[in-house]
Amino acid sequence: MKRFILAFIAAYVFLFFWGWLLNGIVLKDIYAETPNLWRPQSEMMSLFHWIIIGQALIVFAFVMIYASGFAGGGVMAGIRLGVLLEIAAIGMRMGFYAVQPFPGKLIVYGSISGLIEMIIVGAIVGAIYKPASARTP
Amino acid sequence: MNWNKFFTAFIGAFIFLFVFGFLWYGTLMRGAHEEVPALFRTKPDFAWLILGHIVMAFFFTMLCIRFVPAGGVFGSAKLGILVGLVYAGPHLISFAVEPLTTKILGGWIVGAVIQFAIAGGIVGAIYKPSSPPTSRR
Repeated sequence: MKRFILAFIAAYVFLFFWGWLLNGIVLKDIYAETPNLWRPQSEMMSLFHWIIIGQALIVFAFVMIYASGFAGGGVMAGIRLGVLLEIAAIGMRMGFYAVQPFPGKLIVYGSISGLIEMIIVGAIVGAIYKPASARTP
Repeated sequence: MNWNKFFTAFIGAFIFLFVFGFLWYGTLMRGAHEEVPALFRTKPDFAWLILGHIVMAFFFTMLCIRFVPAGGVFGSAKLGILVGLVYAGPHLISFAVEPLTTKILGGWIVGAVIQFAIAGGIVGAIYKPSSPPTSRR
């Protein structure tokens, strides 16, 4: 349980700062091209807790999947899980692009950064979380 | 890996994901989506929609087989619920930054969990390896 919580916290901290760096700074100009698709800044700030809850849910479910089916495989198993989940998510992103008028480059940059993000999340979780049997001599 | 069964499971998952998506998001939630017309294309781009579902189904099937190598409806459905939760996280984040309604948010989250739980059950029911697995990773 302790390892689960540690893995969750470490991966969450990374995800939070990665999200801020990517969406708040790197992709800022691309978001500005389509202001009609986004809430005004003040409204986003008033709903910021949903971003925190959403990121926590992503990390919690990721660690749960890792702990139930991949644990013991270490960093490589975590990375493999991250890659599989993210490529499936890229498919979902294509589906959103089909129905929502997002700029294509936002989907491309979001998918590339999402892949890097989930590889790192997987590596963090795989490095920290160890099943009880693997730790007991 | 039994590639014939993998391919059958992938086709089953793809058909289900696509049909469920059409019924849930395209039909049942149509009214909710029409409340915010600026956020949606007037006509979906079907090429991207189909390609997205193919990618999603292929890598979700791969994930199920890695996670539950012995197959089985319940194990794969449990994974599907967790995957649905991983993808519900970005919906919460989208709600904070896009002018989506709570009705859309709720529909997307519930839809994702049900969709992947059933898709997981389908993959688990179809994919059964010919020889017992020696490792889960």
